[in-house]
Amino acid sequence: MNETQKDNLNPLVHQRITPRTRIKQPAELDNDVRDPFDRREIFDLIRDINDPEHPLTLEDLRVVSENDIEVDDEKSFIKVSFTPTIPHCSMATLIGLAIRVRLLRSLPPRFKVEVEISPGSHQSEKAVNKQLGDKERVAAALENNHLLNVVNQCLTIKGNSYETTV
Amino acid sequence: MTSNFSGALQLTDLNDFIAPSQECIKPVEVKKSIPKKGLSKIKVSNDGSYMEVDTSGKSKKLQKAEITLNDCLACSGCVTSAETVLIAMQSKDEFYKVLKENKETSPEKRKIIVVSVSPQSRASIAAKHKLDVRKAGKAIDAFFKSLGADIVLDTTFAEEIALVKTAEEFIQRYRDNQSKKSLPVLTSSCPGWICYAEKTHGDLTLPYISSVKSPQQILGSLVKETVSSHVNKTPDNVYHVTVMPCYDKKLEASRQDFYDDIYSTRDVDLVLTSGEVEEMIAGECGTMDDLIVKVDAINNNASTDEPLSHGGGGSGGYLHHVYKHAAQQLFGVKVEEVVYKPARNNKDFRDVTLKDADGKILLNFASVYGFRSIQNLVQKMKRGRCNYHFVEVMACPSGCLNGGGQIKAPGGDRELQKDIFSSVQIAFNEIPPTEAREDSAVNQTIMDYDITKSKQLFHTQYHAVEKDETLSLNVKW
Amino acid sequence: MTPTLDCVASLNDHGDRVWDVKWNPKGTLLATCGTDKTIRIWGKEGDKWVCKSILQDGHQRTIRKVGWSPCGNKLASASFDATICIWDKSSGQFESAATLEGHENEVKAVAWSQSGEYLATCSRDKSVWIWSVDDEEDDFECAGVLTVHTQDVKDIAWHPFEPIVASASYDDTIKLFKEDDGEWLSFATLSGHSSTVWSVSWSKDGRRLVSGSDDKTIKVWQKYEPGNMEGIATKGETPTWKCVCTLSGYFNQPIYCVTWCHQTDMIAACSGDNSIIVFREDESSGDSDPIFSVVASTQQAHDQDVNAVSWNPTTPGLLASCSDDSCIKLWKIEIDG
Repeated sequence: MNETQKDNLNPLVHQRITPRTRIKQPAELDNDVRDPFDRREIFDLIRDINDPEHPLTLEDLRVVSENDIEVDDEKSFIKVSFTPTIPHCSMATLIGLAIRVRLLRSLPPRFKVEVEISPGSHQSEKAVNKQLGDKERVAAALENNHLLNVVNQCLTIKGNSYETTV
Repeated sequence: MTSNFSGALQLTDLNDFIAPSQECIKPVEVKKSIPKKGLSKIKVSNDGSYMEVDTSGKSKKLQKAEITLNDCLACSGCVTSAETVLIAMQSKDEFYKVLKENKETSPEKRKIIVVSVSPQSRASIAAKHKLDVRKAGKAIDAFFKSLGADIVLDTTFAEEIALVKTAEEFIQRYRDNQSKKSLPVLTSSCPGWICYAEKTHGDLTLPYISSVKSPQQILGSLVKETVSSHVNKTPDNVYHVTVMPCYDKKLEASRQDFYDDIYSTRDVDLVLTSGEVEEMIAGECGTMDDLIVKVDAINNNASTDEPLSHGGGGSGGYLHHVYKHAAQQLFGVKVEEVVYKPARNNKDFRDVTLKDADGKILLNFASVYGFRSIQNLVQKMKRGRCNYHFVEVMACPSGCLNGGGQIKAPGGDRELQKDIFSSVQIAFNEIPPTEAREDSAVNQTIMDYDITKSKQLFHTQYHAVEKDETLSLNVKW
Repeated sequence: MTPTLDCVASLNDHGDRVWDVKWNPKGTLLATCGTDKTIRIWGKEGDKWVCKSILQDGHQRTIRKVGWSPCGNKLASASFDATICIWDKSSGQFESAATLEGHENEVKAVAWSQSGEYLATCSRDKSVWIWSVDDEEDDFECAGVLTVHTQDVKDIAWHPFEPIVASASYDDTIKLFKEDDGEWLSFATLSGHSSTVWSVSWSKDGRRLVSGSDDKTIKVWQKYEPGNMEGIATKGETPTWKCVCTLSGYFNQPIYCVTWCHQTDMIAACSGDNSIIVFREDESSGDSDPIFSVVASTQQAHDQDVNAVSWNPTTPGLLASCSDDSCIKLWKIEIDG
């Protein structure tokens, strides 16, 4: 495949509808109160991940949305479903890997994280999910310098991005 | 999916094309010329096809794009099944398609169809039908002519050119080795081995691989060169099909090195395996007996030449010929019988040595068959413990008579497969060997060309495949 | 209430994910390896377990698994760098004696046959390699390359006394290999798991295999010879392998390792849900429908995924475990009867 050719030449760009700032509840500001993770916090971690091919974020492309995140802080469980822009998107595993790595680097290690493709949105859904769920494969992938570079590029906040205020 | 390729190919990254964990990344062509009415979504339907759903909820099936082998090989991060592509491009269906088109074309525009049959395939088909191998040869000949082939050839002729050229190269490199390291000579006729060497051990092995083309590709060059000039046509008007014991030969024929840019034609257009030809015979003629009746009826049409064979087994006889030739040329020793000494626990790794009266080793040759043996050879080279002058390398265990394209036992039955293999060996050995070089037609052909032309017709080159992962976002992990 | 496992030691030195833990044949040394690209050898000094040596510079990337030779003088390590290192302590200290190359990418497991004659390795390249060991020359020659799995091969285990090797794969199957006429070939495929099989281990008598999977179940497989009393169909001279027990509902995450103790017949299993559970067959259970019950368990054995468990081969009930939390722990299980 030609390097310059993208899978999806004209992806639909969505408006960023979720407000970027929110007002913290008093309990959240209290350092003595254990502050459970919620969807919104997880979403804030992954919304600015860059698409590997376009100068757009996963939020812009509606690859991730707050509604597709499940959090059970009590059980230390998080599940993120993402929706590739096209069902044969060859970047699906890479996007999934970037989401996984962002969460791996940001969350306390107690969390068990699942990153999966939204059902029915990709032709290789099962294969991609299995690979993303295989911690040995993920660990080995992150020792591949080239792949790590690509993932890190996805995880670098671009200059033209909105300021994230938490 | 089980792969038909040899073990060596199955292990290289190429196998990631062959047995992909993901589907092809470019199976759907979205026509950009049609303006989209509003928004549409693409969904995968239950049967795996792509449906475009527009805003009114109507869905339309999308066309799958055609992918050529070139697309596939050019795609650095490819996860597509090259095997599927090869099956489509180099299949008996493709052959039938070409034959049909050719028949429907006006006579002056018709292509000359040439079919070249390897002796290993002939033996496989003979063993399958318990036929005398000569009779099987005639039957195959008649069969292809009945389908519309103009010329049916035996690849043994090209095999002999390859032997003569390889021996020539060996003598040269043996003499050069005094001044610079140019040994061992590793044979080049096995495409599975070549592909493995290029993909995984380029720097280590490629400088030592013989520059002589495989018999298939030598014949490919000669057929396009001579047949086309004989009938005063351009090479693309000759369609050359080979029948091989080997699936990997399809890949070899597809190499860019064997593509003629000027006439947009390949030296060998299509490779059929023994097994595929057997299927064709079964499909066309029902039984072999019916075919034999036909052969007898049109006997005058079939070739009456006695097929040729040389010593040294069913994998081209490289070691055998080069060893005898070198012993004579370099040391004046006439070798009557080549004695093989198998390695401990491995009958597919055999040494042949020529010693002088004091027991000093003059020639140290080996025949190395099967992926396991190739591994041990490569490791020997890597550790600087490879003292061979010449190595005949084949990717299949037991060599080409046991090639991946030969007619197989139904259901992969191992015991039955052993029986089949021994009857193929018997059939192959029915033709008494003649020494290469004794055939003057071979010498004549070689003499016909000057050095430049000879290089172009009989020699080729190899390319280490760089594992440049930075090229692709689709790197496998 | 099942008894919990007693943690008798906690060793923390790797500083990163520990992938594997293996007792030496005498049960005196423990080898561990992980993301830090080192192997640590632990031994007891007085009452304390201490790190006796650190083997480094053998690998460029994560060391995934280690395997002791039956004589205990050699250790093999399998790495994501596609190589296998052989470490030899005949001279007293462990020294790197050989590097085996040939796999295309990450090597996932390495195991020595009981006779010491063979080494088996497996990789993401979908292949299982058998190496024949020439002890005198310290030479390892490729004796077979088996490419029958369609995916990543995760684990391998040799039969306790026959030259048979079992492999577990991402293709959800287990395959068995043996030598026939100088050639290694696959003679059985055990299908039943619905996801990656992470680990396999043989019973002491070699009649059974236990496997742990990403599908969160453990399966016990049994061999049926041709003409068996139970009337299980076999093909020709080859025995059939059949799943005789599935243990499900015990784990909430993938099972990364199962290991069958040849002294006590207990099976230890560990999981991505941080737990370790020990099972044993009920004495009253039938041969063809065995029942396995929990004899001990610990839900939070580690703070993170537990990657491997290993039974001490000489001290009954002594179990070692290792985890993503970079800890190695030793556990004692009191068994009655």
